[in-house]
Amino acid sequence: MTVAESEVSLASRRRRRWSRHRVMGAVAPYALLAPAAVVLGAVLFYPLYLIARLSFEKYGLFELIRHQGKWIGLDNYTQIIHDGQFWRVLVRTIVFTAVNVSLTMVLGTAIALLLVKVSGVVRYMLTGALVFVWATPVVVAVDVWRWIVDPQFGILNWALTKVHAGDFFHHDWFVNPWSGFAVITGLVVWGAIPFVAITVFAGLSQVPGELIEAARIDGARSWNVFREVTFPLLKPIFVILASLSIIWDFQVFNQIWIMLDQRPSADYYLMSVYSFVESFRLSEYGLGSAIAVVMVLIMFAVTFVYIRQMVKAGEVR
Amino acid sequence: MKVRFLVVAVLAAMLAVAATTASGGTKKGQADKIVVWLQDDAKNGWPEAVAAATKAFQAKHPGAEVDVQYQQWTTHLTKLDAAIAGNNAPDVVEMGNTETTKYMAAGAFAPMQAKSFPNSKKWLSGLKDSCTYGGKLLCVPYYTGARAVIYRKDYYRAAGLKGTPKTLDQFVVDGKKLMKKYGSDRNFSAFYFPGKNWYASMGFVYDYGGQIAVRTGGKWKGTLNSPQAIRGLTKLKSVVRALSRAPLTVDEAHPYPSIPFGKGSVASFVGNGWEWPYTLDPKVGNPDLAPVMAAYPMPSHIKGRYMPTFLGGSDLAVPITSSKKSLAVDWIAAFTNSANMRAVAKAGNIPNATSLVGFTKGLPKVEPFAKAAKYSWFIPKSPNWANVENANVLQDMCSQILSGSKSVKAATTSASNAITKILNAG
Repeated sequence: MTVAESEVSLASRRRRRWSRHRVMGAVAPYALLAPAAVVLGAVLFYPLYLIARLSFEKYGLFELIRHQGKWIGLDNYTQIIHDGQFWRVLVRTIVFTAVNVSLTMVLGTAIALLLVKVSGVVRYMLTGALVFVWATPVVVAVDVWRWIVDPQFGILNWALTKVHAGDFFHHDWFVNPWSGFAVITGLVVWGAIPFVAITVFAGLSQVPGELIEAARIDGARSWNVFREVTFPLLKPIFVILASLSIIWDFQVFNQIWIMLDQRPSADYYLMSVYSFVESFRLSEYGLGSAIAVVMVLIMFAVTFVYIRQMVKAGEVR
Repeated sequence: MKVRFLVVAVLAAMLAVAATTASGGTKKGQADKIVVWLQDDAKNGWPEAVAAATKAFQAKHPGAEVDVQYQQWTTHLTKLDAAIAGNNAPDVVEMGNTETTKYMAAGAFAPMQAKSFPNSKKWLSGLKDSCTYGGKLLCVPYYTGARAVIYRKDYYRAAGLKGTPKTLDQFVVDGKKLMKKYGSDRNFSAFYFPGKNWYASMGFVYDYGGQIAVRTGGKWKGTLNSPQAIRGLTKLKSVVRALSRAPLTVDEAHPYPSIPFGKGSVASFVGNGWEWPYTLDPKVGNPDLAPVMAAYPMPSHIKGRYMPTFLGGSDLAVPITSSKKSLAVDWIAAFTNSANMRAVAKAGNIPNATSLVGFTKGLPKVEPFAKAAKYSWFIPKSPNWANVENANVLQDMCSQILSGSKSVKAATTSASNAITKILNAG
């Protein structure tokens, strides 16, 4: 081929590189993403930006009426860092999250392992019960639990007294914050188990039966089978479920708020409740926003683990 | 390529359609309409007064509409803040008289002229006080109420009580007799007292000479840990321990004491005037109790006096963001006229002017409460007081003291510190 000929073919190739076909092909993904990105931006990123901006302002009732905040830089953050209550609430939230996530993962996995073992009918019934729990709206569930533990009219006190587990007449479960949090943990874990159980059950079906058979032939007991065969294979799922559970349980609000009649005492404050009370009850929207931003940063760190795990597992390229 | 183009075009069109239909908000420029926020009490107690006010208002402004929306005490301030922020605040809003100072100090209400309203020269000074800030009138007194002991005459008679107690010590002795007679029923309370009923609890503090907070040199100081206040609260604890089996982490509205009272497991409770007819409401209570119910002011530990009662009440304000201020003022004037005040009084409350208190005579259901109002206490007048209520400081303190989870001294000290901090904030 002569130089002139190759130049011609090169030029025509260049023309073709910028043909309509290729432009449309390059632009289409972004155009298809655009509506979702706009919605996400409006619904998620713009409020996040507003909260971040609010956290640097003094914004009380006076400012609310005039729709104008006063820039005070990092003062809100210094105030919460020097406030003992903030650290107490943070520690309480971390402990609460740790307990709830552990219980949810352990019990959820246990139920998933049970689902593998039982017969078809029982499996359908159990799965159906799990789906019903999952489908119940949080507000409805909390209201039902409130009636169950009501001091005067609740059936929990009545049942415990009847089986002679002690005298639970008019026993108020929320006088002592430990017992109160035990009830709320029960409620949160009860609502969180279905998702974990069903997801792990789906994952268990991917564990090759031959591996388990081989392990059993080698004399492994059930616990060893789980630890050496099942768990390593399901590790990506466990990491994802744990990350999601941590994010959800860190933000628990409804269960505390509704269970305690919208007036929880300070002993029951979790980060989300604390942020809400600061903002809407004490009309310190700047301070409440600063607490919310701290929450978002902590959650961002956890989400980072989740995203990294998903990328590693090859689901996102 | 054609398919891709088509898909993108369709999606863009759908987004455009969604955007335009989603923007269908409220259409301005309709006929004059005012939005009125009242509390549930009006809906349950004197709905005819609300209707009469709207009718009189519409006679004066033909074609105007009134949209009355009923709110709950626990959520109405949050909703009001959100409405102010979202530029759709109501034109008339009912505020509790302990909440007004915070909003008046922030400039949330439009100034008004007293002469626009009926009976304004004789307004109750306590209510008028809760409507005045910086020398301006920023809201209109609506009604007030005192608390007294509502009791069952048949239980008192059956337990051998002679009349009603005139001192606190006699009250305790009588209560113990009731517990002796009926206490074998584990639900029974001689004096039903929910743990977070801070309004009634603070009466003990003020009876013994204590106060919630004092202001010296421009700064507030919580004084619930003063010796007098501690004496009062210790007495409260012994009274409640001996005479009440009510739950200790609930307040006086969850459930309303009228409900266990209607079930027959309560001999007496301290409540507002409207809680008497509420007990007889067939939907929630027991109408058969009508002949045996009566009330008397809570006795003081000092002979010849009553225990100070909290003079709770409501005011009506016009948010400064309202665009229909003169219409709002006219509606409020129509709502607080003498005829409507009579309806409010009949429901067990004290009307907003001294000239109208005569309405309560001859109403045996209201007289004991009007009597009790002779000795009263009120919250510290600070713009930050509403935040103390919102932070549940007093509710939690009472619940801790009565359940014993904290000693009286420890609970009052932490509450006083919290009150000092909140009142002096900002």
